[in-house]
Amino acid sequence: MFDFRFYEISRQPEYIETLAYGVLNSLWLTILGSLFGVVLGVLLALGQGRDMPLWIKAPSVSYVEFLRNTPFIVQLFFVVFGLPLLLGYTWSLEASVVLAITLNFSAYYGEVIRAGIQAVAKGQTEGAMALGMTRWQTIFDVILPQAIAKVFPSMTSQFVFLFLTTGLVSEIGVQDLTWAGRYVADRTFRDFEVFIVLTILYMLMVFAFKGSFALMFRMAFPWWGKER
Amino acid sequence: MRMKNTQPTTFKKGSGDIAVTLKGVNKWYGDFHVLRDVDLTVKRGERIVICGPSGSGKSTLIRCINHLETHQKGSINVDGTELSEEMKNAEKLRQDAGMVFQNFNLFPHLSVIDNCILPQRRVLKRSKDEAREVGMKFLARVKIPEQADKYPGQLSGGQQQRVAIARALCMEPSLMLFDEPTSALDPEMVGEVLDTMVGLAETGMTMLCVTHEMGFAREVADRVIFMDAGQIVEENTPDAFFDNPQNERTKAFLKQIL
Ligand SMILES: Nc1ncnc2c1ncn2[C@@H]1O[C@H](COP(=O)(O)OP(=O)(O)OP(=O)(O)O)[C@@H](O)[C@H]1O
Ligand SMILES: [Mg+2]
Repeated sequence: MFDFRFYEISRQPEYIETLAYGVLNSLWLTILGSLFGVVLGVLLALGQGRDMPLWIKAPSVSYVEFLRNTPFIVQLFFVVFGLPLLLGYTWSLEASVVLAITLNFSAYYGEVIRAGIQAVAKGQTEGAMALGMTRWQTIFDVILPQAIAKVFPSMTSQFVFLFLTTGLVSEIGVQDLTWAGRYVADRTFRDFEVFIVLTILYMLMVFAFKGSFALMFRMAFPWWGKER
Repeated sequence: MRMKNTQPTTFKKGSGDIAVTLKGVNKWYGDFHVLRDVDLTVKRGERIVICGPSGSGKSTLIRCINHLETHQKGSINVDGTELSEEMKNAEKLRQDAGMVFQNFNLFPHLSVIDNCILPQRRVLKRSKDEAREVGMKFLARVKIPEQADKYPGQLSGGQQQRVAIARALCMEPSLMLFDEPTSALDPEMVGEVLDTMVGLAETGMTMLCVTHEMGFAREVADRVIFMDAGQIVEENTPDAFFDNPQNERTKAFLKQIL
């Protein structure tokens, strides 16, 4: 029987602190990347609209296809190490990582939001236009709120999935939760225990996210499900 | 009588004796010829009922009048504005020509009163208070002020259609277009919507209604227009139209629906 020794981790305040920082770093990377990613995703979704001119549509489609069909780790390396070489300008590691995460997330959110926009009845656009609303007013006041409500569950699972992929940033030394786990494991030689702790922490965070999203949904879309 | 072509940007609302003029209007969907040489003059305050078999182009015709569709040949003039494919102020025109759809097209994410407020704020740039006041006025007019804070999904079909009418009226249109406003409703709700429309007609509103409600046509319409295969085949006063139709196609159609 394996002899679990969790106290090897807990007795050192430094390890607890490292893990706590890891949790925080993973949190804000995901949240920041999602905030920017959703905004960019909305633009990407709109850019792929049926009546968009080709010079907007083609780049939008290519961008999304490219980012969803290449490994995140490669995108990460490209943005963090490749871009500075190309542009001759260096950002902080944090900024580059947030940029890489944002670009990656935006492609996924864009696809989900695009599905939502397509699911909003055509009559909604006509109803708004017939009242004299402009195209952009129609998009922002009528189509997007309904589109996002429709795909909110998919957005939540997409968010969780993307959150779990952020562990890859530890590969380039970003001190996220995965990095913290490795740090502690290397020093305690208790890899098994550390990865159990990591699993639990990731899971708790996912539950917290899901709870918050459910709450957010009810606050943002009080009209949902209000049918006779 | 001819309408002079004023500049599209100078939009004179509700002035002149003529609300809408169509001259030789033709429209194609690809190869399909939907509207063929349609001529129609609607006087201000006139109530016109359009009927005809499915696919005859009734919806297309009234959708062209508020520029939800564009025509390819001929001219459409609404309140002095000449409609064209590339016209810049289509929004202005649409606000002036209110439209009521078969499926209501209310915004499900906004309460009934917010459905009325949003377009007023965005299009007419009214203040929130003013928009609310106007919204409540028209909800009272369609007799459902007590539903103002509910969501559309919580109302019956008939109530939803009345909200849609109120919402369109909030934009102070000079002309109202109806596309089969009662055909998605359960029979017991048709009456309340027709009553609302009769009430509207009594205020002198110019109305173009695509409907097969013959009772309504007899009570309200100044003229009934019968369309078939993209053409206006017959037009007459309601009594003459129903009691003494001239065209064979009209007769066949009336036999079917009466
Ligand atoms: N966007 C479109 N593309 C191609 N064909 C269309 C389109 N919209 C309508 N049509 C065709 O044009 C014809 C006229 O359509 P329209 O909706 O005006 O008929 P309608 O008289 O309103 O019929 P209904 O009583 O069924 O509503 C129909 O044959 C229809 O199939
Ligand atoms: Mg129709």
